[in-house]
Amino acid sequence: MKGIFRDVSSYISEAWQAWNRFWFTPTDPATLSLIRVLAGSMLLYTHLVWSLDLQAFLGQEGWLPVDYLRSQIQVETLPDGSMETDAEGNPVAAWSVWSVFFWIKPVWLLWSVHVIALIVFFCLTLGLFSRTTAVLAFLFAVSYAQRVSPGAFFGLDKINCMLATYLMLGPCGARYSLDRIRRLRRGDTSPAMPSTSANIAIRLIQLHLCVIYLFSALAKLGGENWQAGTAVWWAVANYEYQSLDMTWLANWPVLVALLTHITVFWELLYCCLIWNRFTRPLMLWIAVGVHGGIAIAMGMITFGLSMIYANLAFLSPATVRRWVDPLAGWFAMRLTGAK
Amino acid sequence: MSKKRHDSQPSAPQAKQPQPKQPPAKPKRPPSGLPWHVVSRCLVSLLVLLHMTAVISAPWNLSTGDALPPGYVAPPGQPEVPAPSSTVWQEPPLTRVLHRFFRHYLNLIYMNHGYEFFAPDPSGTHLVGYRVSKSDGTTIEGKFPDLEDQWPRLFYHRHMMLAEQTQMMGRASGQNYADHLATLHGGPSRIDWMIHMLLSPQQVAEGKPLDDRSTYQVIESLDGRPRVTETKEAAIAIPEAGR
Repeated sequence: MKGIFRDVSSYISEAWQAWNRFWFTPTDPATLSLIRVLAGSMLLYTHLVWSLDLQAFLGQEGWLPVDYLRSQIQVETLPDGSMETDAEGNPVAAWSVWSVFFWIKPVWLLWSVHVIALIVFFCLTLGLFSRTTAVLAFLFAVSYAQRVSPGAFFGLDKINCMLATYLMLGPCGARYSLDRIRRLRRGDTSPAMPSTSANIAIRLIQLHLCVIYLFSALAKLGGENWQAGTAVWWAVANYEYQSLDMTWLANWPVLVALLTHITVFWELLYCCLIWNRFTRPLMLWIAVGVHGGIAIAMGMITFGLSMIYANLAFLSPATVRRWVDPLAGWFAMRLTGAK
Repeated sequence: MSKKRHDSQPSAPQAKQPQPKQPPAKPKRPPSGLPWHVVSRCLVSLLVLLHMTAVISAPWNLSTGDALPPGYVAPPGQPEVPAPSSTVWQEPPLTRVLHRFFRHYLNLIYMNHGYEFFAPDPSGTHLVGYRVSKSDGTTIEGKFPDLEDQWPRLFYHRHMMLAEQTQMMGRASGQNYADHLATLHGGPSRIDWMIHMLLSPQQVAEGKPLDDRSTYQVIESLDGRPRVTETKEAAIAIPEAGR
């Protein structure tokens, strides 16, 4: 009996140690900082594009008026799935679905808030006041996404908000940032310290990606065409998505089937094989292939890139520093005059 | 969060001095080598577990639907598939309970959604064609999405989603689009909500183009009127930007 107790106790102790190593080992913030630069630039571009027709998409009226969304779509539901209503029988809006654009009415205020949001995303990209701008960027990203959901949202908004959420948890401006250069100019040449919160932020991005791919695969398994190996054809033969003519695939059914099955198996196995150091490069290169293909052939450049940016969370800080430090050092030298 | 390094910082070297004999110290647990205090780590672990459970609960709930009992056969005279309100349907209890518990948290951080990219199967795209009769007698025609009118690609894609998600929201959203166009151009509008059907590899191999006229089908047409608002403000729009 004592032996069983000792073995169970030893197992729990080892599991706790492994858990601690996974979540609480301080890591160099290089990977998180690189993701800040890339995700910040994507946030900036994504929201800059809203400027082309800001009022129609985000104003009180426009394509989908706020009143309509709040009273008919974004409503509170009861456990049985029906709408919750007030004493007069009107649906009750879900309080937790929030956006600053639900309350902004004057056009000048709408544009003012939009310009402030763009400045915030720009500062986040450059890494200026990073810890503050990361929080503001998250609040703005969610505000825009909630206003257009449903309506004009798609996967890009989900990934933008996901990355913005986790960026604010760690020191995302510790490297590759104006914050770092400001410290250097003040004479603070101490290196960026390994950080536990940077590790937690990166781990959350990694695990969230696993959830995304797993449930995407499970949803595909419910589709006849994904199972039959023909789904990739129906995706590339969609005229409205098409940005590269891939109709030559009509004569290559086996290749279509191969691409379809690889996509499903890759998504399904990602959450297991991404953690092994031998299979990780394969998983990441397939990610680049799948998302790069979506970007080039199906016109979703922004979505494809944002998914690739999220996958960079699996790059070790040493790899990131080997690739990015020379460029960052070049910029720092020009801005600080240091050698 | 505490930044104290409780057990990772080696103590400063001290000169060796004769120490008075002390009773043997109680053996300490081996240092974890981690900077955060165990209480902080326990608290953060709990938050991480709750967060990840919430993150999983959203797509899990969306991917599960009510199920009929195995081998269900409708009683004589009853429809083959029971009405949604029927008690025959078995609701997935765990996913519904988890999602209901976490839904407000998920809403607050915009994670209350699934990840069904091109699932369960890729399908045809929805489009909206429109015609607005202006008060000066001229007519404006257009459609969205439209590559010639909406640029850059992300702006085009936003319009594509606008047409696509009408399917999710139903007729009322289409009515809002019609009213918006009527308000924007100052005259009654008519929109055609269409679906662009996909062609099979065999049809394409036979030479049929993806945008063949026969592949477009009008699902519904709706008439729109300018909205009456209390205070009408001048629209600010970037010249040449798509509508």
